[in-house]
Amino acid sequence: MIKAESIDFYYGEYHALKNISMQMEPNTVTALIGPSGCGKSTFLRLFNRMNDLIEGTRLEGKCWVDGVDIYDKSVDVDELRKRVGMVFQKPTPFPKSIFENVAYGLRVNGIKDKKFIAQRVEESLRGAALWDEVKDKLKKSAYELSGGQQQRLCIARSLAISPSVLLMDEPASALDPISTSKIEELIYSLKEHYTIVIVTHNMQQASRVSDKTGFFMLGELIEYNDTKKIFLNPAMEETQNYITGRFG
Amino acid sequence: MRMKRKKRAQWLAFALFRLLGVLVVALLIWILGFIVYQGIGVISWEFLTTGPTEGMTGGGIYPAIVGTLCLVVGSLVISFPLGVMAGIYTQEYAKKGKLVQFIRLMTNNLAGIPSIVMGLFGMTLFVNTLGFGDSILAGSLTLSLLVLPIIIRTTEEALASVPYAFRVGSYALGATKLQTIARVVLPQALPNIMTGLVLSVGRVSGETAPILFTVAAYFLPKLPTSILDPVMALPYHLYVLVTSGTDLEATRPMAYGTALVLIVLVLIVNLLAHGVRNRLGRKVKMN
Ligand SMILES: Nc1ncnc2c1ncn2[C@@H]1O[C@H](COP(=O)(O)OP(=O)(O)OP(=O)(O)O)[C@@H](O)[C@H]1O
Ligand SMILES: [Mg+2]
Repeated sequence: MIKAESIDFYYGEYHALKNISMQMEPNTVTALIGPSGCGKSTFLRLFNRMNDLIEGTRLEGKCWVDGVDIYDKSVDVDELRKRVGMVFQKPTPFPKSIFENVAYGLRVNGIKDKKFIAQRVEESLRGAALWDEVKDKLKKSAYELSGGQQQRLCIARSLAISPSVLLMDEPASALDPISTSKIEELIYSLKEHYTIVIVTHNMQQASRVSDKTGFFMLGELIEYNDTKKIFLNPAMEETQNYITGRFG
Repeated sequence: MRMKRKKRAQWLAFALFRLLGVLVVALLIWILGFIVYQGIGVISWEFLTTGPTEGMTGGGIYPAIVGTLCLVVGSLVISFPLGVMAGIYTQEYAKKGKLVQFIRLMTNNLAGIPSIVMGLFGMTLFVNTLGFGDSILAGSLTLSLLVLPIIIRTTEEALASVPYAFRVGSYALGATKLQTIARVVLPQALPNIMTGLVLSVGRVSGETAPILFTVAAYFLPKLPTSILDPVMALPYHLYVLVTSGTDLEATRPMAYGTALVLIVLVLIVNLLAHGVRNRLGRKVKMN
């Protein structure tokens, strides 16, 4: 379970997130939607503390992952990131072989058992619906894959370290329709084990894969509710306007 | 009308550039050709494998070849790890502030110090104060000072050219900063870091001034047995042959022969380094 409480976030003077409180349940998929620049990615990056890497940022409020206050001084950021996987908008495989890309997270975790690694790599690639396409060329460079395949490789990479939370920032925006539906099925099946938060600009996708949806605008959480409710009968006029395409 | 004049000006400029380009290449070929022509006559197995005899008018330059190789290896063993680590520190670890700016400034200043001054400093510090005497150790240390800035600079630039997205991807998988640098950033930067090594080899094997007071022996037909021994070195031997032999006319061919060996040596090492660089480059190929 992950939770944000009264979050205010600043890039220098710029107030990017305004007093956001939101709780995502385990074994559910939560979609974050909203116009470009409204702070969805920023919000997502709070939970694996990737915002820490950006200089001149400031955070007020609290974040919890599985009951742990993740901005507490006692928290080891590297350990946190092993529990909270992230898939980025642009696929960023490492300039290594397909196998090594997936094994990377295990290796930096100090896992040396070759059998275990090989098994985990296969599971993760299967999990990301990529195994059949790459099983004969695991030693080949990841750059020999198509953009869509590279993205699924990055998903496999995140799955390999068995996180409990999976953050996905527009993971399907670079994929063809077939890969996209594979990923959507995958997300659906993964929620059995993970807390999943997905940012998407695709309304159909949000309604297909998610259980709950949060609508952001200008750094504020306008509405957060069951996905059905949001898409069929939103409480706020802004939400209605956005999902019917009259805005943003 | 105006178009025409513009075109003609452009044609003229290009013609000039092309001419200058050809001229530079021609000059280079001429220099190389001249040295090969003058030096090839004395090159023989004996020249490459024996020491000088008969007041340097006979024999070969074997001790000088070995000496230069010792100095190249010695100075790079010292300066490469140091320089790469310093580059990693300033580029990846240090907060971008006054200290890093200061280090950058000092590195650039270090690069600007004339090599003869470096030689003097090396003599004072390594030969006398630390008591290494005229030795491979003292010479290598002095040469290290000379190439350190080159290696630091190329390391910094190589690291900076690795896209930020790779680091982010690595951090997101729970890798520490050290793991990210060692496993993702460095392998990608390595081919470019090798450029620094190549430049350093050329610099180290060709410099005379820094080794003048710290290692180079005027005449020493035996090979070194430890790093505290002095050695002959090709550039200094060349200098000696040209300026202070007993019979300058008779040593002239030996001088050209030495120059030829020096050039070929640098060329070989450069080619080797380029080979390594390309192999590394292939391994991390991207598209
Ligand atoms: N590194 C940064 N430095 C300064 N401002 C930033 C930075 N990253 C984002 N911002 C600003 O914060 C706001 C929110 O950005 P964010 O990337 O979270 O939006 P988003 O909702 O993910 O948009 P998109 O749908 O286009 O991805 C934007 O106005 C953006 O300009
Ligand atoms: Mg975004």
